[in-house]
Amino acid sequence: MIVTEASRQLLEDCGVDSDRLSLEWASAAEAPRFVELITGYVSKIRDKGPLGSSDGEVSRDTIKRRLAAAVKAAGARKPRTLLGNLAKKLSKSGDYSKEAIANGVKAKVLPAMRSERISHELRILLSEAPLDMKSLCTQTGASAEELEKIMAPLVKKGLISQKKGKIALVAGE
Amino acid sequence: MAKENAVEKEKEMTQEGFDPKILGFFCHWCCYAAADSAGVSRYQYPPNVRVIRVMCTGRIDARFVVEAFRCGADGVFTGG
Repeated sequence: MIVTEASRQLLEDCGVDSDRLSLEWASAAEAPRFVELITGYVSKIRDKGPLGSSDGEVSRDTIKRRLAAAVKAAGARKPRTLLGNLAKKLSKSGDYSKEAIANGVKAKVLPAMRSERISHELRILLSEAPLDMKSLCTQTGASAEELEKIMAPLVKKGLISQKKGKIALVAGE
Repeated sequence: MAKENAVEKEKEMTQEGFDPKILGFFCHWCCYAAADSAGVSRYQYPPNVRVIRVMCTGRIDARFVVEAFRCGADGVFTGG
């Protein structure tokens, strides 16, 4: 449930309707219930339409790019450690209510996942062409302060450079 | 009124035309067995779900889910 909640919030962060991910239970003896669940879920997705066409979703290309970055973010060490710590904390407190999990993920894990996602997306975008700050903000969906914070370590490492308002990937990377 | 009908008809048509691709992660011991017995007892259900069997729902990682959407799934169904 914690992993699903984390995935859900990561998807929402990428501009995907999180209702597209569902977690349900059906025991081995509950075939009728299983059929009901699947039928309901498929008709729900059918109503939503293809990925990127539901309410509040961004365009398909943007989603694809963000998800490519999100895959890397979900595998990064920092968010995974935080997720593990959160799981430990929740099991200690014994509170597995939906709200407790959602709030925990939102407070502890989501910020790390988001900044990892934006950092990877930045590199994907810049590998195509140098961009200015404003278009980077609109493409990644991050605010300027957020973006600057994420870019600072990358500039320090010499991975990206900032000249005359244009941001580019340093060659030979 | 006529316009409303037309819009509704169009909506219906696009809904019929759209076949969602759904990826299902099914637990070997629960949902997968339920799906199996649903098949054996000849229940009808939509064929849109492509199933990946996992030995336990706990095996599923956020990476799997995000990767599924990246590869073009319109939905991910996790069955425990």
